Amino acid sequence: MYPDEHKEIVTSLMEGKFITVVDVLFKTIKKNEEFYIDFFQKSFGFELIGTHDFYYLLSKETNENTSRDISIFFSILCYELDKEGKNFLDELNFSEFTLDEIIDYFKNSSWSDVIKANKQLSSVENIKKLIGTTLVKRNIAVKQNNERYIFTKAHKLFIDFAKDLVNKEQPS
Amino acid sequence: MIKSEPKSILQFLANHYELLRELFDLQVKNEIIRREQLYNSIKEYGSDLEVQLIEHKIVVEQNDDYVINEPYFVLFEFILQQFKPLLPEEIEKYGQSIRTLFFNIKEGINSDKNILVDRIEALSKEINKFTNSVKNNTQSLLYESKELKANSKKYEYQVKVHKARFWIENYIVPLNAILDVNHTQSIYNELLAISQFSNIKRFDYGDESIRRQFEKLYNLLRQVAKDINHQSSILTNELLPLIERIKTESEYLRGFHQYLTNGNCYKGIIPPSLFVSTRDNIYNPFVYENTKEYFEQFKNEDEVIVIEDNNYLTEWLFDRTEYKANLDKNLPLNDFFGWCENTIKQEKTDFTIDVFFMVTSLLFEDDYEVSVDEHKRKMTISTDSAELFMPWLNIKKRDYVSR
Repeated sequence: MYPDEHKEIVTSLMEGKFITVVDVLFKTIKKNEEFYIDFFQKSFGFELIGTHDFYYLLSKETNENTSRDISIFFSILCYELDKEGKNFLDELNFSEFTLDEIIDYFKNSSWSDVIKANKQLSSVENIKKLIGTTLVKRNIAVKQNNERYIFTKAHKLFIDFAKDLVNKEQPS
Repeated sequence: MIKSEPKSILQFLANHYELLRELFDLQVKNEIIRREQLYNSIKEYGSDLEVQLIEHKIVVEQNDDYVINEPYFVLFEFILQQFKPLLPEEIEKYGQSIRTLFFNIKEGINSDKNILVDRIEALSKEINKFTNSVKNNTQSLLYESKELKANSKKYEYQVKVHKARFWIENYIVPLNAILDVNHTQSIYNELLAISQFSNIKRFDYGDESIRRQFEKLYNLLRQVAKDINHQSSILTNELLPLIERIKTESEYLRGFHQYLTNGNCYKGIIPPSLFVSTRDNIYNPFVYENTKEYFEQFKNEDEVIVIEDNNYLTEWLFDRTEYKANLDKNLPLNDFFGWCENTIKQEKTDFTIDVFFMVTSLLFEDDYEVSVDEHKRKMTISTDSAELFMPWLNIKKRDYVSR
């Protein structure tokens, strides 16, 4: 017998979504973690990755450009939140943002060279698309009823990646 | 005088970028390049390079040592976007020349036109130099402040504050005063006055060519005002509050800084792996985004440059009408293939077998009557790839009998 919500779990993960700790599906996967690791590996050759905060799938191919866009997005947003004297970790975990607020951070950022060089961030429309579709599609951001967005725990993958760079030797 | 060809100099810069970068870094660090440092670097990259460095005047002697010649040094600063912060006095000098030129333009507004044009042009040049130095300076101060904020060198807090105070007192506050609209003596206010003056003169000056000069100056100042406002907002929002900003520090911020200043973050640092969906249903709500995302992943691929071979062969086209008209003129003939060979050779001496047979196809036109030579004579035709033994053929215009 398959676990409850099996179809929903498989569909969500196969769509590239992160299933986060606040989601009811998270508990089901956690309870049946070995089964799902085995299931995705044997059925599709995909790796199920789990942390304290979220589950997601990895395929042999990776969408490097999208991942880079998202990593740059969070790096600049956090930098700008800090510049305003805000605790960016708290803000990403607990605050709601309107699209205009986020766009203003990017418009007034001194990382303008990086922003101009990145197609997904170089115009207001593209920033809206990045948040409203790319991040929502993967459950990294969720649109609230009041037109505001919150970030799910999945954002940690991208900011932890930046933090880990400090201790790593990267090829230039 | 530089003896070298400009193209060879640019080629040299491109081919020996690593050596030049090393020399540039040495000079930034020590102000000069010591003789032994130059020789060590040259030894590492190729011993024959010294002559070219001197010949292209890339390095020049300074007593017993060397320095990079100033135009090259400025070029390197620009392409590496690595500027040494300028002291306020170094920027203020543009203010002096701008004020003097503007004063002289106003005083001599009705004097000789030629000197007026020269002064307006010189003023534009000084304004451009001033704007560039402000932009470069803000950039270098931003670089320093971001480094300090990320604290990649892991300074103690007191050391960080000391450094921040140094930058603020000696560079940031004076630069802000130069750009401060509320400061009556600021260069920015001087530029606003020039802008107002040129805006009036571009309409009311008697001479058209001078009006055009003021128009150009006015347009330049419109752009300069935008640029300086942008620099000024960076100063206010990011640089002046530096001491406040360095209070917070974390590995996250250091990581963001490292990632964003990588300069090559498109290739250098690999971001977290992200799942690629292998199949999509057409009724999937994100099918458009998924398809777009799939194609966009190839956008930053390296360009493939195909170098075309310039020695391509131009294709020969058979102008049937022209050849037929030529044949008609020469009829009757008793050696059709011989005529074909000679006629083609008039156009191109080295023809292929294909060309030859294209021309011989005239034989099948309805207008001609063809018969074999009664003596059964044969001839040889040589092309680039074959030797053909052909019979003599008689050819004449067909006699049409009306029915």
